[in-house]
Amino acid sequence: MIAGLVLLVGGAAAGVFGSLLGLGGGVLIVPLLTLGFGLPLREAVAVSLVSVIVTSSASAGVYLEKHVANLRLGMVLELFSASGALVGGLIAFMLPANVLEGLFAALLVWVAISMVRRKEPAKDGAPVVAAVAVDVSADLTFTETLGGRGYRVHSLPFGMAGSVFAGLMSALLGIGAGIVKVPTMHLLMGVPLKIATATSNMMIGITAVSSAVIYLLRGQIDPFVAGPTAVGVFAGAMIGTRIAPRVDVRVLRWLFVVVLAYTAFQMGQKALGL
Amino acid sequence: MSPAQETAAHLESLAARLLTWGTRVAMALILVGVLGMIATGVDPITSSFPPFSLAAIPGQLASLQPVGFLWVGLIVLVGLPIGRVVVSGAGFLAAGDRRLALVSALVILVIAVSVIAALGLEG
Repeated sequence: MIAGLVLLVGGAAAGVFGSLLGLGGGVLIVPLLTLGFGLPLREAVAVSLVSVIVTSSASAGVYLEKHVANLRLGMVLELFSASGALVGGLIAFMLPANVLEGLFAALLVWVAISMVRRKEPAKDGAPVVAAVAVDVSADLTFTETLGGRGYRVHSLPFGMAGSVFAGLMSALLGIGAGIVKVPTMHLLMGVPLKIATATSNMMIGITAVSSAVIYLLRGQIDPFVAGPTAVGVFAGAMIGTRIAPRVDVRVLRWLFVVVLAYTAFQMGQKALGL
Repeated sequence: MSPAQETAAHLESLAARLLTWGTRVAMALILVGVLGMIATGVDPITSSFPPFSLAAIPGQLASLQPVGFLWVGLIVLVGLPIGRVVVSGAGFLAAGDRRLALVSALVILVIAVSVIAALGLEG
């Protein structure tokens, strides 16, 4: 009973932090379940993937309604991220748990460094529209049809490779892997940050599903753990969205970096059997 | 806006509604399951869970077992991104965008391969 409430609250905290800091909840949920509750890493990853689907579906609905996510580009890239997740979902059952724990510790360090280096997004500038309603009868190359009003997409092969890698990471570590997808689209493919973030949010759902079905059918998803966690994440994400304008994210970010560093240390110790 | 573009814009709204309402339905079902867990004193960490079986779910629902609601909620949840891809693919086809319709079909194929691979590993 108490464990259920802790899962609800832990999921809610992951949802609040995730929505305030632009992260999926996976980087928090997996350590909570493994280090906090002693669950095996694979089970924690499976539960985390469910939470990733919750976050993605809830936010993608809003982004698509507002025409911020680029559906065309997302569809193309998610073919590759889903393929990566399929491979990752199968590899996850072959790798020893301590290798996955070591990978997760490295991921936490990477996320912490990314958060330290992150710049505040500009609030001014012309509105950018994803413009998915492209006239396909026009004389455009395939890559050109993936762009939007005010921006062109380029370097599609980099996007494909980055998506495969993101899918692998998602399936192995139970994360949305927006930390791979957003920089790939924004820095390598020329997609505006806001659209890259929204498109990544949409993509992580189907990416997570590709490996979640493997975990589900192999009996690795515990509904008694996944249920309270998913409800908590959903509630937390809604709270986070509402309080975001009133929260000083800079302070929160530094607090989060400290938590990530400590968790990475704990996870690293577990991987090394110390 | 051309008819093809109008179809594509309509398609986005349709996919958005599917995700928004589908998430609400899934979360409501899971919440019923969680409340059932609390009511019946199920400890999520120490309680063993029945293995996932589609055939067992109607019986679990009929006997109002929390796990039945949790499984249905999770299935709806997993089905949402797949539904979004199917809706998008149909919309792209209707808009005459065969390349994107093919991409949508390939995404569904990847999911199907995941299911087959998981079942193969189980067997």
